Amino acid sequence: MADPKGFLNHGREVATSRPVGERVRDWNEVYVPGSLLPIISKQASRCMDCGIPFCHNGCPLGNLIPEWNDYAYREDWEAASERLHATNNFPEFTGRLCPAPCESACVLGINQPAVTIKNVEVSIIDKAWDNGDVAPQAPERLSGKTVAVIGSGPAGLAAAQQLTRAGHTVAVYERADRIGGLLRYGIPEFKMEKRHINRRIEQMRAEGTKFRTEVEIGRDITARDLRKRYDAVVVAAGATVSRDLPVPGRELNGIHFAMEYLPLANKVQEGDYVQPPITAEGKHVVVIGGGDTGADCVGTAHRQGAASVTQLEIMPKPGDERSPGQPWPTFPMLYKVTSAHEEGGERIYSVSTTHFEGDEDGNVQSLHLIEVEFVDGKLTQKPGTERVIPAQLVTLAMGFTGTDQENGLVAQFGLDLDERGNIARDADYRTNVPGVYVAGDAGRGQSLIVWAIAEGRSAARGVDRFLTGASELPAPIRPTDRALTV
Amino acid sequence: MGTDSPIAALSARPRLIFDYFTQLFAQVTNPPLDAIREELVTSLHSSLGPQGNLLEPTAASCRSVTLPFPVIDNDELAKLIHINADGDMPGMTSVTLSGLYRVSGGGDALGARIEEICAEADAAIEAGARLIVLSDRHSDAEHAPIPSLLLTAAVHHHLIRTKQRTQVGLLVEAGDVREVHHVALLIGYGAAAVNPYLAMESVEDLVRAGTFLPGIEAEQAIRNLIYALGKGVLKVMSKMGISTVASYRGAQVFEAVGLDEAFVERYFNGTTTKIGGVGIDVIAEEVAARHAKAYPASGVPSAHRALEIGGEYQWRREGEPHLFDPDTVFRLQHATRNRRYDIFKKYTDRVNEQSERLMTLRGLFGFNSGREPISIDEVEPASEIVKRFSTGAMSYGSISREAHETLAIAMNQLGGKSNTGEGGEDPERLYDPARRSSIKQVASGRFGVTSEYLVNSDDIQIKMAQGAKPGEGGQLPGHKVYPWVAKTRHSTPGVGLISPPPHHDIYSIEDLAQLIHDLKNANPKARIHVKLVSEVGVGTVAAGVSKAHADVVLISGHDGGTGASPLTSLKHAGGPWELGLAETQQTLLLNGLRDRIVVQTDGQLKTGRDVVIAALLGAEEFGFATAPLVVSGCVMMRVCHLDTCPVGIATQNPTLRERFSGKAEYVVNFFEFIAEEVRELLAELGFRSIEEAVGHAELLDTERAVNHWKAQGLDLEPLFHVPDLPEGAVRHQLVEQDHGLAKALDNELIKLASDALAADTAEDARPVRAQIAIRNINRTVGTMLGHEVTRKFGGAGLPDDTVDITFTGSAGQSFGAFVPRGVTLRLEGDANDYVGKGLSGGRVIVRPDRGADHLAEYSTIAGNTIAYGATGGELFLRGRTGERFCVRNSGATVVSEGVGDHGCEYMTGGHAVVLGETGRNFAAGMSGGIAYVIDLDQDNVNAGNAGAVEPLDDTDKQWLHDVVRRHQEETGSTVAAKLLAEWDTAVTRFSRIIPSTYKAVLAAKDAAERAGLPESEITEKMMEAATHG
Repeated sequence: MADPKGFLNHGREVATSRPVGERVRDWNEVYVPGSLLPIISKQASRCMDCGIPFCHNGCPLGNLIPEWNDYAYREDWEAASERLHATNNFPEFTGRLCPAPCESACVLGINQPAVTIKNVEVSIIDKAWDNGDVAPQAPERLSGKTVAVIGSGPAGLAAAQQLTRAGHTVAVYERADRIGGLLRYGIPEFKMEKRHINRRIEQMRAEGTKFRTEVEIGRDITARDLRKRYDAVVVAAGATVSRDLPVPGRELNGIHFAMEYLPLANKVQEGDYVQPPITAEGKHVVVIGGGDTGADCVGTAHRQGAASVTQLEIMPKPGDERSPGQPWPTFPMLYKVTSAHEEGGERIYSVSTTHFEGDEDGNVQSLHLIEVEFVDGKLTQKPGTERVIPAQLVTLAMGFTGTDQENGLVAQFGLDLDERGNIARDADYRTNVPGVYVAGDAGRGQSLIVWAIAEGRSAARGVDRFLTGASELPAPIRPTDRALTV
Repeated sequence: MGTDSPIAALSARPRLIFDYFTQLFAQVTNPPLDAIREELVTSLHSSLGPQGNLLEPTAASCRSVTLPFPVIDNDELAKLIHINADGDMPGMTSVTLSGLYRVSGGGDALGARIEEICAEADAAIEAGARLIVLSDRHSDAEHAPIPSLLLTAAVHHHLIRTKQRTQVGLLVEAGDVREVHHVALLIGYGAAAVNPYLAMESVEDLVRAGTFLPGIEAEQAIRNLIYALGKGVLKVMSKMGISTVASYRGAQVFEAVGLDEAFVERYFNGTTTKIGGVGIDVIAEEVAARHAKAYPASGVPSAHRALEIGGEYQWRREGEPHLFDPDTVFRLQHATRNRRYDIFKKYTDRVNEQSERLMTLRGLFGFNSGREPISIDEVEPASEIVKRFSTGAMSYGSISREAHETLAIAMNQLGGKSNTGEGGEDPERLYDPARRSSIKQVASGRFGVTSEYLVNSDDIQIKMAQGAKPGEGGQLPGHKVYPWVAKTRHSTPGVGLISPPPHHDIYSIEDLAQLIHDLKNANPKARIHVKLVSEVGVGTVAAGVSKAHADVVLISGHDGGTGASPLTSLKHAGGPWELGLAETQQTLLLNGLRDRIVVQTDGQLKTGRDVVIAALLGAEEFGFATAPLVVSGCVMMRVCHLDTCPVGIATQNPTLRERFSGKAEYVVNFFEFIAEEVRELLAELGFRSIEEAVGHAELLDTERAVNHWKAQGLDLEPLFHVPDLPEGAVRHQLVEQDHGLAKALDNELIKLASDALAADTAEDARPVRAQIAIRNINRTVGTMLGHEVTRKFGGAGLPDDTVDITFTGSAGQSFGAFVPRGVTLRLEGDANDYVGKGLSGGRVIVRPDRGADHLAEYSTIAGNTIAYGATGGELFLRGRTGERFCVRNSGATVVSEGVGDHGCEYMTGGHAVVLGETGRNFAAGMSGGIAYVIDLDQDNVNAGNAGAVEPLDDTDKQWLHDVVRRHQEETGSTVAAKLLAEWDTAVTRFSRIIPSTYKAVLAAKDAAERAGLPESEITEKMMEAATHG
């Protein structure tokens, strides 16, 4: 185990961010490169190697956190990476993007600041890439079976990698022009530089996974044809339908879903545009939705040179401490200051948008909001609290309602949906159609990246069993598993 | 916290066959032994090769190979294989038999291959082989290794059946051997030596990686492994009281749990297996599952998964399930902290619901009452039920004051009972009705066991064995002996404390009866418990315990106990309480002993269902330890031994103790919830009280259909058997034990001392002088008198010699046990064993009868184990005494004129003076106190304390002169008189034995006191001296 007294001798220390003034002028990741490495072994030594590692339970992937913390403490980076990859296909993604339910569950967190698990994770994988320890794991033998994976987000990529490594021939279909799904176009560059995806895709290609971009199943290839061409199909198409805000003025120019806005900013980074078709430059920006996607919009708007950025959230401001209903080791709703919030802007809680107003050209100019409060468990508007704020660019980041049905994929396969509109599946992640499996947000509804990867891994096991009658692949979660709550 | 994962027979994972066996251990019937402190009686040597006819010894009989160690490396194995390569060992031919089988053939192929190997062994012996090596090397994609234990035992028993066993020695070369338990089993089933080649290669690999074993050579690491495995076997043997490998080999001191009877009879003949279980087919399936990991059917090994994720010792999601996992810990804590019975039910549902994941034997049980349910309102209230609950014996020292008091406060509030655990109780709590623990434990170390401690108990518990590590003692390392711990234990801060494996006053059931009697005399109002651990035969022991007049017998499960135990004991010693409790109940009923003793059980009790099942199997009281700790904040860190408990429970570190967040009300909630659940179940079963339900095992069955590849072979019916009982026979305790106190000589003494006892204060007590005859049927004389003194005047007793009684004759055992200050017992005659046991400040003087004409210094005046666990007072013994003189003395001054072996063993304080010969192994495990010995033969001093022998300084000399003078005055000793007559030369014959840490601590204390430091700083200096020394 790591140092038994590490947690008594060292306090929590996290990665250093670059100064706000510097980082908002570029799109690189916000952290000082290399700032973790000198402190990370000491930080890893704070791990107590618990008899019941709640972190390992809090992580949907079941990351073997105490084990690689120990390796990181002992600076055996190769072994650490090996143990990290035992449960996680893409630690460089989770190490940057995951909100770390593991740290919420950390036993040290009962009465002290939790171990910096996420920082340890990203240190291990960055080191592994640097040292050339992330080698392709091509299968020694092919099964002769073929699998199509629809969608190249974290769930699809995880399923594809698992199945490829198990010896199956896997093709990943992506309707966008680049691989990565939300990772590619939903996540701003400053949170994760896209070179990390490219590097991982190279590894997957070397292992034998095929990638087909700009092919939309349902439109470009019908589901029936796809099913005929492959022995099994994994639907990992995500929950891409954004929740709308049907209030007067919604049709005005300048009001966009976050998922319309963020991809364009990312495409600038990819070199597709010099100027994005939608930009915050010089505008008063309002972001509706107080979650992580909202924060991504905030950070992006700062970098584009917004005149002001305001983020609205309908729910009350969360506390700094756990509420009685969210005790350790649950993943609590806490007031978070993300890197984007450090960079500026205003956050307004307990408000609801009533309508938008535009100029004569149909461009949005202002947003009318009203304060809300809980009355008998229901959010109710407080009369007399209306106000107007300037808004020349509005992004809607209020979550996603389900998987896209417009392209015909669901209908063509004849997939049953569950009561929440997600694609229904059994304990093996199998849909009602034999040979068709579902993984990720398409089956679970919108969730975290770790759940997506866990779903992809678990579904791969179901597919492997279907194809070969047995499987050695791990299944970290069941489709019905949810995070621990009271 | 012990183990809470499934036993092998219930595990969904393939388990090594070793896991189906548990180690037997000695409790009551014979003592376990301390292989560290009494190493001189142990031996790991064994001889290998044919054994000649004992009745016709010839030169050839001596032709055998002596192995110094039962675990051998590859070189040694090669030497044995080629032993006659030079032709200088004629007749010593060796043959290696390949222990592989065609894995696809399943159990049939496995069985057939074993038959073949037995035939090969026959042929080899016929051809003159005298050493047979059973090897599982060279397995491949088709051939899997036969489990080495199965193969070894099979060949061993085959050779016994065919009367060839003495002609050959068996060596085992096996890849599946890596733990102490594995080696112990192989030796226990006939192997002369074991070569764990894969374990050694793994160590080599670890050394090469350098991560965990930096700075060590592979060769040294392998030597360390071999040494640890061998020494570990010694420890396992010593739990059973076996001291040599030669006598352990083939002794089969194991119990099988979950193995089929016919299978055991065939391959492990003579081993007990009570509930049936798996046979060769499942064993083959388990081998095949492991084999498939190495050679997957797909031909594609899993990426990044060279090693499986274990989860046996620490919970892992993919690993073995544990009863306490994130879900149950969280729900239990949340339910009890917020008094939410609905969440508590979710917790118990998850613990009880075992259809998907089998965890415990009781998980397989169903209720089949056929009785009419009754309204829950008719069931006795929860407030009655909680009185039957107690918390586990966790010492103050092993857990923090905060945690210890939380449990005590909760139990006192509820009317249940908490347990001091070994290590005494702070007088501050002793008299505080809110914070006291009503059960006072008496363990082998006797720490803090004073007259005052015993007098203030409701129950006194004799710990014969401990669930997590039955047959073992314990050790509180010096750095954990904080001043406050030292105070309650009557020891020195910073100085380590050892609890011996046996009670040195219990080597038989008679001795146990004696200790029960002693304790009953020390507090006639207290119930005396005897704590046993479940294993085969525990019923017989319990029957003995009942006959020995214990008021309560506690059957502990193997799964109870601390996270600080050795892993091999945690996992492999003792059995589930279900088995031990059923056996106990049945044996007590059959022998008509049930109605006079209360039966209690503990071991991972977690739910109301557990309690009701225990009641139906025969328990009327119930102990809980892990669950209330979890309620208090324990998160099963399993680092109890490291003093780093992050939630302030198993630690004395003040910083960590501040992080303790438990509250008594949470614990109260827990027990009330449990009681509520018990009531619900009782109502369903149609019982109005626990008492009505006790012993109705016939209401249990295994209806809970079990469709599990391993568990379906289990036959639990024997557990549900109720012996034919005469009409009206009760199944629970009804009458009190007759302790025979009415006949005690002490009744007389108490009358004689009435003048002193009648005083209002100690100062007013009038001196009493009396003389009375004594016979050896008068046992434990003076103890009840002492009890009266302590009850009346408290721990400080009376002024010295207030009650001064002279006895003439031969005293029975335990003369002067636990006698407090103010009582002086003079015996003119002789005494038996245990004189001055637990002496608590009183004085005991034994001299030969005034008319005796023998030379006292050459005769034995008193027996073994004098002043065991004494905390204060004086003993002058004119004559020789037996073995283990002053064992675990922590405060008394004791003088004898010659002592047997193991003198001053485990002593932690006080003074011992020996004016005559000293036996072997003197001062073994002695960590404190000072011994003054005349004409000491350095060879007789235990190696651990060889450096503690030194000459006397002037202070010593003066002190010693005074003691010898008083010895002479009190006893009329001629030896003392002679020494005093020529003191200046006599004193040079003395050596002083003072353990080095103890000496350093005393010096620090002295220096600090002279510097005028306040008390807290003095103890700080003492701790410093101890840890740096």
